Amino acid sequence: MTRDTPLETDGGDPRADGSGTAVADSAAQTDSSDESLLDSSFDVEDRSHASEDTDAIVEARDIDVYYGDEQALQSVDVAIPEKRVTAMIGPSGCGKSTFLRSINRMNDLIDAARVEGELLFDGKNVYDDDVDPVALRRKIGMVFQSPNPFPKSIYDNVAYGLEVQGKTDDVDEKVHRALERAALLDEVEDQLDESGLELSGGQQQRLCIARAIAPDPEVLLMDEPASALDPVATSKVEDLIEELAEDYTVVIVTHNMQQAARISDKTAVFLTGGELVEFDDTAKIFENPESQRVEDYITGKFG
Amino acid sequence: MATTDESTGSWFGADGQVSQVRGLLFKLSCLGATLLALGLVLVFLLYVFNDAVQPLTADTGWLLTFVVTLVLPAVAVGVYYYTRDTRAGEVAYTALGLPVATTLLAGGVVITFEHIVSPHAWFALALSATVAFGLVELHARTRTAGALERLAVVVLVPLLALVGVPGIAVDFPVETPLLGQELFRLSFAIPELVPSLREVILALPVLPTAAISLLLTFTLPIAAAAAWHVRRVRESDRDGAIAGGATIVAAGLGLVAAPLVDLSATTWVVLATVVALPVGLYVESVVRRDVGVSGLAFPVVVAAGALIGAFLVDALGFAGPDLWLDWDFLTSPASTTPRDAGIYPALVGSVMMLVVVAVAAFPVGVGAAVYLEEYAPNDGLLGSIVDLIEINIANLAGVPSVVYGVLGLTLFVRTAGMQSGIVMVGGLTIGLLILPIVIVSAQEAIRGVPDSLRQASYGMGATKWQTVRNVVLPRALPGIMTGTILAFGRAIGETAPLLMIGAAAVVRIPPDTFFSLFSAMPRQIFAWSKEIETEFRYGVLAAGVVTLLIVMLMMNASAILVRNKYQRQN
Repeated sequence: MTRDTPLETDGGDPRADGSGTAVADSAAQTDSSDESLLDSSFDVEDRSHASEDTDAIVEARDIDVYYGDEQALQSVDVAIPEKRVTAMIGPSGCGKSTFLRSINRMNDLIDAARVEGELLFDGKNVYDDDVDPVALRRKIGMVFQSPNPFPKSIYDNVAYGLEVQGKTDDVDEKVHRALERAALLDEVEDQLDESGLELSGGQQQRLCIARAIAPDPEVLLMDEPASALDPVATSKVEDLIEELAEDYTVVIVTHNMQQAARISDKTAVFLTGGELVEFDDTAKIFENPESQRVEDYITGKFG
Repeated sequence: MATTDESTGSWFGADGQVSQVRGLLFKLSCLGATLLALGLVLVFLLYVFNDAVQPLTADTGWLLTFVVTLVLPAVAVGVYYYTRDTRAGEVAYTALGLPVATTLLAGGVVITFEHIVSPHAWFALALSATVAFGLVELHARTRTAGALERLAVVVLVPLLALVGVPGIAVDFPVETPLLGQELFRLSFAIPELVPSLREVILALPVLPTAAISLLLTFTLPIAAAAAWHVRRVRESDRDGAIAGGATIVAAGLGLVAAPLVDLSATTWVVLATVVALPVGLYVESVVRRDVGVSGLAFPVVVAAGALIGAFLVDALGFAGPDLWLDWDFLTSPASTTPRDAGIYPALVGSVMMLVVVAVAAFPVGVGAAVYLEEYAPNDGLLGSIVDLIEINIANLAGVPSVVYGVLGLTLFVRTAGMQSGIVMVGGLTIGLLILPIVIVSAQEAIRGVPDSLRQASYGMGATKWQTVRNVVLPRALPGIMTGTILAFGRAIGETAPLLMIGAAAVVRIPPDTFFSLFSAMPRQIFAWSKEIETEFRYGVLAAGVVTLLIVMLMMNASAILVRNKYQRQN
């Protein structure tokens, strides 16, 4: 898969310092302040397979999520196609992360959270009583907003999933392959014994991606994986996501609409109140959205 | 830029518009409070130290000699480091402190092998533990079986190796609670079915001598760790082998050479392992980094100064100070004459009591903290109960120690029927006392583990147990250790509970088992404070206090070391 324009856009950013260190300002702030980007049309990449829908691997049917008395998601219906990149965009607090975390039942870890409705993974409702959330999470990997490597060596970080899931054969090979797929192997090959915390922010996030794909999950959930990274590191992670979509279903939450336009096949737009306003092919969402509210949000008039 | 015209002369506050007086007064009164607190403590410590060492009883010539040979050179070198080479100063600081600290530690290890675990018992313990670990590891490698079989092997193999199937004899009358009327008597006995591997080893007709046992099971593992460390930092297999080999040779030399310098072979082995090895590793690291190498001269200057000074005062016939805190004091038992009195049995008693405290309070405290932080319900009725319990654990930390003494007396002596005044009762009682402190500090350490790490672990499909074991506990351990060691520092100074459970005032022989009568340092100090002879109340008591403080400071220092080491890593 080749892609030219987006990378050049990023690479040409004057802020690119090439060091890959994390910068504190989030990508979202950069966007909303940059009017020229928002007014112009989006680089929606013409991905050859984008139009042909594959079967849905994750399907939400009328999902409501409550935190205590507060409703975070309102009857969301989404069918996420297999081996595609699906982006979730929307303003802060609109419930997109909540939706992501309800796919692998990470919301279970919050006592006050309650999920209603059906969420099918491979045709099975993950909220059925006989589904073990631990087993579910072994099928669905996750990458978080800020890089969170364990205070262990790089090798042990990547091998962690294999270890806890009992996949103890060929660990060496799987660790190397995961690092290679995460485009990190060349940079860390000589320092696998060193702490994962000694890497730069961008490298740490790619380490977290390597850690998530090492046990070979079916779906990869990414919760704003690039929001704590500088533009150079961001573009590396974006490249990576596109490559990963060849083998994995990727669901990515992002504040950065350019990012969603560049890398995703499908886009879901959540707006305030936990409501899924529109879900369609990325090209359609960014060029010709049905809902006026979505258009306002995308062009920066709202949100 | 801004101008400083006369017309704008009033805005910058030169005319006292902005009042600083109250702030200044507040700052000064805070400073006063700090100085008062520190000053009082400092004066007290100097006072006690003066009583214990009595430096002014020495001949003027003695003092002058040491000033010239020891103090002046040390100060001169120190000034050089301070002004010219601060990195070397840091090295000098550690290079002097390390041998002193490790020698004190070696003293503790020697006491341990003398009174708590004999070298043979240690040999058998270490060997059977190694065999058990090897078997468990072998099983894990050869049979990737189900979790249940693994669990059985992990529990049973070490149990058989270390404990065996012990004989059990129960003879317990079941009585009605108030009247004490016997209902029936629970009485049965099974013989020992399988002796443990440890007992089998101990029963062997031929065992290596004490020194060789230590060499094999104490020095060897530590030497292997040192070799591994050197191999890693120098990236050379050969250097690692040299480091390990040199350690074993240095310790093994004691088998031949120890009698020549009037040491026992076991003491030599311990000194080589606990003092010489760390000092050697430190020297190696300084030389390897090539930063502040001249700092290594400092301990040499100090040691040479002390030796030359000692030789000179001996030759010139100057009398030294009238020490209360000297080698005899540390190694003699209690006595009715102040000059012969020593603290050795109480020192051993304190160390043994601390072993009981550690074994009892650490696992229970950490276990409770892990449950409360990781597993206990947070909401609903159960959540409120847990909240109530947590608040009361904090309250328990403030309960006066004499109350714990009464509790220990009731629980362990009256109810469980143990003899009063034995090491076990003292350790368990003080273990109860520090348990809330251990729980609270461990809770804080566990709470300090970032939630993002737990999330990452759960996101990888780890179970709660895997998350706690692989992520939470390793990350929290330094904090838990720091808090626990500080709590042990408090435990070793506790006196009131020892009075309540009837620890002896004066014990002439150190306890040889955990069920022997004992005295501890604070208890002994309290006893000395009530002696009629003034020399007990001033000299001997002061020496005891200084000994106790040094032991406590060492424990606190090790807590700080643990904390700093891991803070740097994270």
